[in-house]
Amino acid sequence: MARGVIENLIEQLTKLPGVGRKSAQRLAFFILNMKDEDALALAGAITALKQNARFCQKCFNITDSDTCEICRDSLRDRKRICVVEEPSNILVVERSGGFNGLYHVLQGALSPIDGITPAMLRIKELVDRVHNDGVDEVVIATNPNTRGEVTARHIKEALGSFNVAVTRIAYGLPLGGDIEFADEITMKKSLEGRTRLE
Amino acid sequence: MTGRTEGIVLRSRTLGEADLIIEYLTKDFGTRSAFAKSPRKIKSRFGGSLEPFTHARIALTGKEDANLPRLTQSDIIRSFHPLRENTPGFIKACQFAELVMKLLPSEGRSHNAFALMLWGLDGLEKDPASVLVPLVFKLRLLELAGYAPALNGCTRCGGQTDVFYPRDGALLCGGCKKEGPALGLSAALIALHKSLSVFPLEKLSRIKPSGALLTELERFVELHFSEGVNVHIRSVKF
Ligand SMILES: [Zn+2]
Ligand SMILES: [Zn+2]
Repeated sequence: MARGVIENLIEQLTKLPGVGRKSAQRLAFFILNMKDEDALALAGAITALKQNARFCQKCFNITDSDTCEICRDSLRDRKRICVVEEPSNILVVERSGGFNGLYHVLQGALSPIDGITPAMLRIKELVDRVHNDGVDEVVIATNPNTRGEVTARHIKEALGSFNVAVTRIAYGLPLGGDIEFADEITMKKSLEGRTRLE
Repeated sequence: MTGRTEGIVLRSRTLGEADLIIEYLTKDFGTRSAFAKSPRKIKSRFGGSLEPFTHARIALTGKEDANLPRLTQSDIIRSFHPLRENTPGFIKACQFAELVMKLLPSEGRSHNAFALMLWGLDGLEKDPASVLVPLVFKLRLLELAGYAPALNGCTRCGGQTDVFYPRDGALLCGGCKKEGPALGLSAALIALHKSLSVFPLEKLSRIKPSGALLTELERFVELHFSEGVNVHIRSVKF
């Protein structure tokens, strides 16, 4: 019996990304030794997430009500929208503290070879927001890879008829990196995006 | 199955948090998938070398029978970056990659297919709007994959005819013909098809068919693909 429940938990944990059999075992025994209230809070958080999580009607962030906290926050700059591929990307931009506007989650990126077309992403909804909400700037923060680039170009075209600045986050070398190891395209993009030292 | 070769990235799929599975057309081992550890992390040593259509010198390591060797080295020979920055050209290149993955056998030496892919990508990079380059690419790939249309008289009896039956992938005469779609071909088209099939790739740019002939070639290739080869291509214009 005891072996059954612990085996079951180990098996469930191995479904998580980056968790192999060994880590799953360690986590399972850790949970077994947790205080009851902590373990139940963890289980409860997972249940609550799956029961209540839905997409924000405005920006498609994850939320537990109709619109997300960021969209409801009256202190944010409503004239700027940062476009990201996935809800998890919002956390990264937020942690940077470099942006105080609203977001728009595309729920993916264009990929012809995988059959992912503009209609499958939240691009029309973005165009509608720009059209209706008096947006000044759309910052495209899709990934700096081919899919992200194709998506960025497509959005730029889709917003072509609006009086809105479409900007792209800068490309370049990672901080703490070494030019020696930069590939030619990253280097070229870094040169193109060079700025005057102030 | 493992070792050093040259590869062209056909497609990549994410695996877990930061890993990728890259599908390559290699010069020496046919189409191959390889596992790349953590390329999605910003500081990855693979840099931009795993982006679609990159031509790179690659090293794959793994057990002899491993069906997913690990990518341990990837040095760019030609990035084809300008091609990725042109959406219509990029979509055509995606079609090339799809056709390679769907039509070519995954094993064996692949020098010809490799040279053809490089030729096609080069042609698209120079002229993303080219009509001829995709058509030649398709015809030559069909030949490598064993689907080349037979345009030397009736394939059954050898008699005179110029009517193409895509479901047979061949010309058939009035006596041998069957049910199904058919397309009458001009003598000029049959001659053009022959030149496009036999000319060395590096000399193909000398062939400059008229607009009308190009349109006829396009119809012929389309019909052969939709009725004869029967592959479904997902990469379509936005
Ligand atoms: Zn929201
Ligand atoms: Zn016949």
